[in-house]
Amino acid sequence: MRLVRFGMQSIAGLLAVSLASFSVITLMPADPVAIAIRLWSLPATDDTVAALRAQWGLDQPLPLRYLHWLADFLGGDWGRSFRTGEPVLVEFAERLPVSLSLGLAGLALAIVLAIPLGFFSAAYPAGVVDRMNRALSVFVQAVPAFWLGLVVLFVLGVQLRWIRPFANDWTAIVLPVLLIALHSVAVLSRVYRRDLKETAGQPHFRTALAKGLSDKQALWRHGHRSALYALSSAVRSEAGWVIGSTATMEILFGLAGISQFLVQSIAARDQMVLQAYVMVIAIWMLVMNAGANLAMRLLDPRLA
Amino acid sequence: MPRLIMLAALAVFLCVGGFWQPQDPDAVDMLARHSGMTASHPLGTDHLGRDLLSRIMAGGWRTACVILSVGAIGFVFGTLLGTAAAVLGGWRETVILRFCEFFVMVPTLIVALTAAAIFGLSPLSAGLALGLAGIGPHALLAHSLSQRVLGRPFILAARSLGVSPLRMIARHLLPNTLPLMFAYVGNQAGLAAVAYASLAFIGLGADPSKPDWGSMLFEYRMFIFDHPMLMIWPGVAIALVTVLLNGFFDNGRA
Repeated sequence: MRLVRFGMQSIAGLLAVSLASFSVITLMPADPVAIAIRLWSLPATDDTVAALRAQWGLDQPLPLRYLHWLADFLGGDWGRSFRTGEPVLVEFAERLPVSLSLGLAGLALAIVLAIPLGFFSAAYPAGVVDRMNRALSVFVQAVPAFWLGLVVLFVLGVQLRWIRPFANDWTAIVLPVLLIALHSVAVLSRVYRRDLKETAGQPHFRTALAKGLSDKQALWRHGHRSALYALSSAVRSEAGWVIGSTATMEILFGLAGISQFLVQSIAARDQMVLQAYVMVIAIWMLVMNAGANLAMRLLDPRLA
Repeated sequence: MPRLIMLAALAVFLCVGGFWQPQDPDAVDMLARHSGMTASHPLGTDHLGRDLLSRIMAGGWRTACVILSVGAIGFVFGTLLGTAAAVLGGWRETVILRFCEFFVMVPTLIVALTAAAIFGLSPLSAGLALGLAGIGPHALLAHSLSQRVLGRPFILAARSLGVSPLRMIARHLLPNTLPLMFAYVGNQAGLAAVAYASLAFIGLGADPSKPDWGSMLFEYRMFIFDHPMLMIWPGVAIALVTVLLNGFFDNGRA
């Protein structure tokens, strides 16, 4: 029953996002017909304009156009890019794996690293790991990932000459993933640590200690699960941040992902690309949300 | 106190940068390309001989505009919505909270990205978009803070004394929630500076002739081999603004 309700809510959310973005993008101060005529060097006669308007359904009222677009979108027709002339779906299918693997790898790496980092900073408060962790979380808040990327390229590439900056090799994949993960590691490990500390103050934790478990054993056996729950809940908001970092990383390292495609297309006022981009991000947020909710449900049987 | 002085110094630097720079930030001087730190160019010049300090100051004013509008929009509307939800209660509370939760789900940067793609990137459009996207979290925070205060005994006492609702909000509710709201706004404003720099770096709909810290970093990334200082200074400026804002407002909370 809850699953059905969650599904309904997700679909309602997607529809709301699509309606909002469709209206904003459609009302934007640029006429797609004028752009097409300029880009494709068509004769700008009244006949051409009228024909294009009729062909794209621009003479219809907004609600009708939205429904039309929605049906096309669900049927896999995401429109054509003005700039490249290719169907948007094909362009996205080529580039989505790059963006997706960057984002997923970054997020996964962050989760894997955040657990030991958070655990040891909770087990040894004010210890080396804890202080490093705190410094890291201040640092990543202040320093944008793309600038850190530039500095890393400078140090590793120019000073030490270990890698070639802006080269199209394995470093252009590994470095972005590391940089994307860095911000999320700091946030997630703080969440994990805070929940462990909270558990440590509770009566059942005292009981575990009284049974003879060591601090670390008790934290791991009795605190890890609920801390992982808190971490899953934080992953939901981190997923949005990861998108932003992925976009800057694609620009910095010249990776052919969807954000780079959007930037290249937007100069040509490519409305269909922008619309598709917004929808892809909305679906990504939805999937991450569902995944996090699923993990939380598995971790806390009371929710199921 | 030293934090306050540093923040004031930063504010003065950013505001002065809007109206006066040591040199014209757009003046091209091909004879003085890539000059190092000299008396006339304290931070040196870029590949077109433009004075780096002037460009950073001009970009600082644009960043300050974003920070101010994000802070003002998020703070005013977030507090208004959140407090209203807590005070009104009932179905209106549910509607406002659902609305805000929905907005929290959409990534802030994507809202700003879409706005930049449609209206072009300027401090105004980015500040508006980031500010509007920030209303959701602000309202949720204001709501939970207000609810905690509304449950306290002195509210009951004030209510039984017959204090009018508006006076109740102004005299008893807001003074208890606003300090925490300020701290949160400060942190969010720091994040807005980073977000604006990211947007300018991505370059979506940005005006390349206007100096922005993010777009400067994008422009100067090619000089990483020969003139690394060009890409160090704008980054230092971004980090400094964020650290000062976060440090000041985190301290104010404690």
